[in-house]
Amino acid sequence: MEILSHLVEGFGVIGGFIPILIIMLGVIMGIIAGAMPGLSPSMGVALLVPFTYTMSPTLALILLVSIYIAANYGGSITAVTINAPGTPASVVTAFDGYPLTKKGKPGIGLGVSLISSTVGGFIGTLILIFFSAPLAKVALKFHPAEYFALAIFGLTTVASLGGKNWIKAFIAAIFGLLINTIGIDPISGVSRFTFGISFLYDGFALIPALIGLFALSEIFKQLEEGGHKAKAKVDLSSNWPTIRDYLKLKFTIIRSSIIGTIIGILPGAGATIASFISYDATKRLSKNPEDFGKGEVRGVAAAEAANSSSVGGALVPLLTLGIPGSATTAVLIGALMIHDLTPGPRLFVSNPGLVYGLFASLLVANVVLLVFGLFGSRLWIKVTNIPKKILFPLIFAVSIIGSFAVQNSFFDIISCLAFGVFGWILRRNKYPVAPIILGMVLGNIAETNFRRAVMMGGYDVFFTRPASLILLILGLVSLIFAFIKSNKNPKINKMKGAK
Amino acid sequence: MKKYILIFLLLISFNYSFSDQIHKTESGFPSKPIKIIVYTSPGGLIDITTRKFTEIAAKYSDATFVVENKPGAGGIVALKKVLSQPADGYTLFACTKSNISKFVSTGGTAYITALDWLAMLMADPECVITNRKMDISDWDEIVKDAREKKGGQIWVGPDTGGLDHVTSIKIWEQFDFKSKWIPYKSGGKALAALLGKQGQAYVGNPREVLGNPDLKIAAVSSETRLEQFPDVPTFKELGSNELSNEYMWRGFAIKKGVPNEILNWYSELFQKVNNDPNWRIFWEKGGIEVVYYGPETFEEIINSDTKFFQHYLEKIGIIKTDSDNVLANLGTGKEFALLVLLFLLINLIVGFLVYNSRNRKLLSRILIITFFLSLSILFYILSFVFPESDVVGPSVVPRLWIFLLIPLNILLLIKTLTNKNKVEEPGGNVNKVLKYILFLIVYLVGIYFLGYYISSFAFIFVSMYILGYRKYGTMLIISFGWIVFSYLIFYKTLYVPLPIGRIIEILF
Repeated sequence: MEILSHLVEGFGVIGGFIPILIIMLGVIMGIIAGAMPGLSPSMGVALLVPFTYTMSPTLALILLVSIYIAANYGGSITAVTINAPGTPASVVTAFDGYPLTKKGKPGIGLGVSLISSTVGGFIGTLILIFFSAPLAKVALKFHPAEYFALAIFGLTTVASLGGKNWIKAFIAAIFGLLINTIGIDPISGVSRFTFGISFLYDGFALIPALIGLFALSEIFKQLEEGGHKAKAKVDLSSNWPTIRDYLKLKFTIIRSSIIGTIIGILPGAGATIASFISYDATKRLSKNPEDFGKGEVRGVAAAEAANSSSVGGALVPLLTLGIPGSATTAVLIGALMIHDLTPGPRLFVSNPGLVYGLFASLLVANVVLLVFGLFGSRLWIKVTNIPKKILFPLIFAVSIIGSFAVQNSFFDIISCLAFGVFGWILRRNKYPVAPIILGMVLGNIAETNFRRAVMMGGYDVFFTRPASLILLILGLVSLIFAFIKSNKNPKINKMKGAK
Repeated sequence: MKKYILIFLLLISFNYSFSDQIHKTESGFPSKPIKIIVYTSPGGLIDITTRKFTEIAAKYSDATFVVENKPGAGGIVALKKVLSQPADGYTLFACTKSNISKFVSTGGTAYITALDWLAMLMADPECVITNRKMDISDWDEIVKDAREKKGGQIWVGPDTGGLDHVTSIKIWEQFDFKSKWIPYKSGGKALAALLGKQGQAYVGNPREVLGNPDLKIAAVSSETRLEQFPDVPTFKELGSNELSNEYMWRGFAIKKGVPNEILNWYSELFQKVNNDPNWRIFWEKGGIEVVYYGPETFEEIINSDTKFFQHYLEKIGIIKTDSDNVLANLGTGKEFALLVLLFLLINLIVGFLVYNSRNRKLLSRILIITFFLSLSILFYILSFVFPESDVVGPSVVPRLWIFLLIPLNILLLIKTLTNKNKVEEPGGNVNKVLKYILFLIVYLVGIYFLGYYISSFAFIFVSMYILGYRKYGTMLIISFGWIVFSYLIFYKTLYVPLPIGRIIEILF
């Protein structure tokens, strides 16, 4: 096979001491960036782009993708240990990862998230290497109507996320969707709900909202409950998953990785949606869905495998079509350009060494991540043992600097704090906050694609395109199912309305 | 004798190599680092331009340049940052033609006249890109098809009201047809739609076809054919004389009021960079035209761009022409203040009523519901300000969410009121949290006035004390360690310009 011989060449490209060192450096920086609430993978990569301007293009690319991969894992560390998801996608990891920590089993959460991340990353990369060309062709066929249907399908996961509190979960999600409309309307160019404040022209940034709703509200909640006085007593020596535990998760990981890669390929979708959807799928397929949200390892595995495999997916349109599939790959295009390289199918011909070197480095980076993660987990688990009196002030400090770093904007710090207070009020009244994030992530995709689709082909386009129709029906069916399961007295009409 | 000649030659060459340097002005400019504000995140084309510029400029001047990314609102956030600094020449604004569109549509000409336009360094002609794999990819066929479809042909591109959008409207006018403009979040996503055969044409930059052999330039708006694309016809050849000068430019501006001496210093520097062979090779390889237009010509270009955007943005409806519309003021004016007041009042009244009723323990629950309900109503009223559109307009989707949010909240209100006995009011030390939130607000105010480092040190230290930690040594080490960490990682490695505080800025 031609690909394999190219791949061997690729390993030759990155075989030296310097490339391996760069990968290791990238993985460490990625883990830190991911774990830091505020530095999402795309932020981490973007902030380090200037740093790579002086490197050779291959090394620059290797460094940036290593960061990208590791950052997707890094987000789960803080999600599991302190319920402060470091990246938007790891919000889902926190659903079951943090309850594990609360039960005194942070090792289980950390171990499963590491293995699922690296296996997911590996599967995503393999799909990228072997199937990128046909997959890219399919992705191009995706019409705005399908994107809209996918977003709606993503929103239906709220029904099962919310469980008995489904009304509150939907209110939270729709609130997220509504505040997502703040800013300059991407279709007509007029400003909506901006009140003349220029910071609001782009709407509320996702990251400060995420930090506020999760990290800050969690501390407020613990302060209220007197959690800062409690001494964490976690047995750090035991409580790691065994090989057998991992083997039990194999189908969950493989399924979630495939979902993650496919959603990652679609330009504009991405890791967060992939995590929500594969978590939802895993929960639905499980024999005991009621365990989810209370520390079910499958939930952690599904979320992490999906968001890590989406990296491979996101690189598909970048390499085969020259189009960025995610915010992070958009930054990668800029990084390639300064080195005078134009990503796209021509790159395979003009710089095969670079492309296959990139593939090889993705595989190596996952292995390096596994090794560092295994050693590192022994370290991160200690976070749960830091006295809360020290930890809380530091989390605040990280949150504030992280919110600022998103756009170097003071406004983002204020919005982070506001979301923190709001999230605390909501949580103490039993509103889940994760749907707000989902709404903020999906709002723009849902709205712009809805309007594009209607502009292109009228309102019936959603029902005349088979793929869109199937996704919409799937969404409706999953809503009804989630509903029958969670409520004796289903108000299906209402739920239809939510669609 | 030979020795002396050699020394002489050496001296000359030494002198020569230094004569290339731009010396400080008489008043000693620059005596501190020069900040260049970039309105996109790292990796954007203007960011790359700026960083390449600083690299080349370092050859000709010993000034230190610091690039600061201030993304947001299409350049408005960056512009406000530039205007907030003193007009001492130490803050440059890296700008593009897109900014003019944004400035015109948000602040009118006030933003544009607040700047001195120093130098325009690059120009890329706009072009129409098509998909080779589609039945129609030549310009004549596109025009024919568009006229046949009578407005049904689809064009894709980024950013409504941006240069590409406005250029395509001008193209349609010139060739006497009208197509549909479907905007995407970025040029890349619009190109994906073109490759997926969802649109017929894309307007952008010639460089964008380089990566993918399926993409083809159908026509370019330059005076003559481009060197890299000799087969691509110009609009002039295709029959329009008005489309030979549509291009995206990039350049630098500075706040008005900087002394002439400093402006001349910059002028000299920009010319040196423009003549640098590395600078030219780097950009020309990618199909970008390197130019140099000094302040006077640049100013003229800006004036004509302003008129261009004013004309077309009014046409699209982004700039409103009928400002006497009563509703138009709802978004910002006095009427808006009244609305917000009403919003607060509703919540206060509901809060007061519930507090004094038997349902006191439901207070926070009901207040959240009224918050969502009144927010929905507020947004609903505000949505009437948005212009109507023949297809799905800007108000459709927000209203859809509002119409879902209101019944869900009413349902929840009914449920809450009927199940009130099951409710347990969350207990706990709320006062402690409120005090801590107040403390956080003080911290934020501290960052604004005293800067990040001082305030964070104090915040972490006092915060640990408040929570009951008393090992002062550890507290000092941790607080100080955090400052060092944030300085080294965020400031030094990641170039995050942590605020140094208004007071410190004024003092030094």
